[in-house]
Amino acid sequence: MLQLLQDYDCWVFDLDGTIWRGNEVIEGVLEALELLRKLGKKVLFMTNNSMKSRGSYLDKCLQVGLPAHVDDIYCSSYSAAAYLDSIGFDRSKKAYVVGERGIMQELAAVGIESFGGPDDNEKRASFSSEMLHDTQVGAVVCGVDPNLSYYKVQYASMCLLLNPGCLFIATNTDARGHFTPNLEWAGAGATVGAIKGVVERDPIVTGKPSPFLMQDIAAKHNVQPAKSIMVGDRLDTDILWGLNTGMATLLVMTGVTDEQLLVAQRGSSNGVKPHFVMDSFGDLRRVAQQALQQQK
Amino acid sequence: MVSCQAVANGTTQPRRADTDDKRKLIDSVDCFIFDCDGVIWRGDSVIDGVPETLDMLRAMGKRLVFVTNNSTKSRAGYLGKFTGLGLNVNAEEIYSSSYAAAAYLESIDFKKKVYVIGESGILEELDLKGIQHLGGPEDAEKVVALKKGEYMEHDEDVGAVVVGFDRHINYYKIQYATLCIRENPGCLFIATNMDAVTHLTDAQEWAGNGSMVGAIAGSTKREPITVGKPAEFMLDNIAKTFGLKRQQICMVGDRLDTDILFGKNGGLTTCLVLSGVTDEETLLSPENSVHPDYYMSQLSELLAVKEAAKVAA
Repeated sequence: MLQLLQDYDCWVFDLDGTIWRGNEVIEGVLEALELLRKLGKKVLFMTNNSMKSRGSYLDKCLQVGLPAHVDDIYCSSYSAAAYLDSIGFDRSKKAYVVGERGIMQELAAVGIESFGGPDDNEKRASFSSEMLHDTQVGAVVCGVDPNLSYYKVQYASMCLLLNPGCLFIATNTDARGHFTPNLEWAGAGATVGAIKGVVERDPIVTGKPSPFLMQDIAAKHNVQPAKSIMVGDRLDTDILWGLNTGMATLLVMTGVTDEQLLVAQRGSSNGVKPHFVMDSFGDLRRVAQQALQQQK
Repeated sequence: MVSCQAVANGTTQPRRADTDDKRKLIDSVDCFIFDCDGVIWRGDSVIDGVPETLDMLRAMGKRLVFVTNNSTKSRAGYLGKFTGLGLNVNAEEIYSSSYAAAAYLESIDFKKKVYVIGESGILEELDLKGIQHLGGPEDAEKVVALKKGEYMEHDEDVGAVVVGFDRHINYYKIQYATLCIRENPGCLFIATNMDAVTHLTDAQEWAGNGSMVGAIAGSTKREPITVGKPAEFMLDNIAKTFGLKRQQICMVGDRLDTDILFGKNGGLTTCLVLSGVTDEETLLSPENSVHPDYYMSQLSELLAVKEAAKVAA
């Protein structure tokens, strides 16, 4: 463990299942993070949860007693907006959102007009009249949607099938997430799956495990993947993202991955294998404390 | 004489059936399986000549089966549509994907409960097979608020989730189904069908069951067992129920990628009608590799056989 502290200068943390579960911080994690910062390490956060904007995550961090800066927080809602910005999305077009407000806020921050999202929660498809759609929609952007409905799936599908060149963007395709402390809930994978089942094509995924955001992080924070480590609880997003971007990877067992899954992945030839495993990131605090003493 | 054109992959071009072909077709099979939309009816109107054609085939001793991937109604529910259009049909001749789901569970001696995503047709068919179920239309207005303390219990006796077309799909249903599949050991994930789009109205295409199934596949990372076209099960069940061999059956449909492919993969004789979604150009295009044994403009063309017999007499 001491070696980890010596080898890696930049530590990127997943949020749900790694730092907190719902609104409850995992024991020892705040102290461990504080110690990392005292050791001069760069601490960043990267979550696939598409419900909030970076600004909202910042508020949540501060609420639970975790000091942070908005530039240190990367979330999948931001990744979708950053992606569209990076390809020069035509600002005369719009985005239709199937997901929460966070996505719309991030799109607005890069000057992309969007509609849908929670504003379409009460809309219902009427089969007695023709359903129309906006021909100016140039992208459908999806995230987890606790108010998914036939209307939204139909509207998104019409844009994708009828508007030439309309992009299909997924903030992530996670099957599940710890949106409340004691239960895992269906994730963006459900939203994306529903639309994919109609349009029969895959989305462009901008959040983990896509390497897209790494370029953004590397440039802004001046980090090299070789001296960086990704800490997370999910093999198919956090760890895979770390592997895809050339970082070291540390799996923690405080979230969705259990021993059985880890063993299965390690045993499989194309399984996702983390470099390091810990029961909880909070366990690092003793070693970090030691390292800090040694520094003094 | 009908000319055959060999194409690059060595198979012959589909042949437009002449009167001889039609007689040969009818004589060679004992059973006709019809897709409904685009073959028997279009929306709410019966396609002309169909009632007389069906009567003729029955008089000639042929077994008739009507197949639809639409799971919203039960077989008995569909009977109303048939009789309303002036068609003489029995409920047992209708093979809806709602019935297919119940028949599948019966065939594996299923004894647990089913969580249903879908409309009343599936529930009615499960009732007829004596299979306990939860969900369906009663979960249509349920809402999930992902706030602190929110929790969802699920019934541990659910041994299968059946997903059919559902105009009231919502996150509650998706989450409930996901919990059953994820947490109940051995829980089955069954799809009535995978159609990406469905023609609920003439004006436009509507998201089909492919989307309901896709949502659950996306939240569980599992693929379903499909019981409707073009899966094997439906064909197996029809053949078994009526005591038929595959060679004794002809599939008549309007879609290459479901009806005709379904028939070919199942070892049936296949006949495409152009009264539905496929036009002649698409059928004969070099990009199409699904070739039915015969094709004709519409089902009533088979009546030519009757006419020819009259003339000959």
